[in-house]
Amino acid sequence: MIAFLFLAAQASEGQVAKIARTFGVDWLHLGAQIISFSIVCAVLYKFAYRQILAMLEERRQQIAQGLANAEKIKAELDRTEAQRQEVMTQAHAQGATFIEEARAAAARVLEQETQKAIAASEQIISKAREAAAQDHDRMLAELRREVGRLVVQATTMVTGKILTPEDHRRLAEETERHIAA
Amino acid sequence: MTRNKLAKREAKQLFRLCMVDALLDEGRVRQVAQHVSAAGYRYCPAVLAHFLRLVKLDQARHTANVESATPLPEDLQASTQASLTRLYGPGLITAFVHRPSLIGGMRVQVGSDVYDGSVKAALEALEKSF
Repeated sequence: MIAFLFLAAQASEGQVAKIARTFGVDWLHLGAQIISFSIVCAVLYKFAYRQILAMLEERRQQIAQGLANAEKIKAELDRTEAQRQEVMTQAHAQGATFIEEARAAAARVLEQETQKAIAASEQIISKAREAAAQDHDRMLAELRREVGRLVVQATTMVTGKILTPEDHRRLAEETERHIAA
Repeated sequence: MTRNKLAKREAKQLFRLCMVDALLDEGRVRQVAQHVSAAGYRYCPAVLAHFLRLVKLDQARHTANVESATPLPEDLQASTQASLTRLYGPGLITAFVHRPSLIGGMRVQVGSDVYDGSVKAALEALEKSF
């Protein structure tokens, strides 16, 4: 840049010098300032800009890595979400299957228990009928025995009074004939 | 052979000695009983017990108990005794007993044989049939 200014100053000595004089430019001071500014720029570049640039580069890489990580996380999240959806779908399907199987099993158990209950009730009714029939027969037999006992008792009381001596003889002769036979 | 079997065999032999014309002789029975008691025989009580049982059985076989609700007429008693003698042989002792509880008819027992033609037996059979 300095060389360019120097060449430009030599090339347009006339006009430039005129303009410079118009604006009050002192070439020596300007050159010194340019040199000192260059030195400042070089020092700043050496000790400040490079570190700042390195830090910015590092920050940029961190940001890029963060973005990449975010992308990865997003992809992982999407994949996880897809897996979750798939698992949820499978779980729903499996749950529905379990519910259907449970309903079928419950229906089977209900049917079996109903059949058992029907059989048990029929058995109870049958036993009750048998017991009632036995009670009826037993009461009938007791009644028959009681009636028989009363008939015999009445006959015993009456027979002795109504038998005549001829009847007694006839009965004794029957027994005697039985012995003789 | 056990003591009881020996006693039974001895009693049976003694019982046979007491038979005269297929009938038990009471005199011989007394003689045998006295002889066995006096002999001091070892199995004397057991032999005498079996002998007594055989005598009782023989007596029961030769005793007819005729029970009737009313006293039997003479002719009917005779015919009954004759029938029993024909059936069980001579030597049968017949006892006629008046038993009003029979209500009517006659009941004859000789040993373990029973001829029951009483009204009471008929009524009991009727009661059992109910």
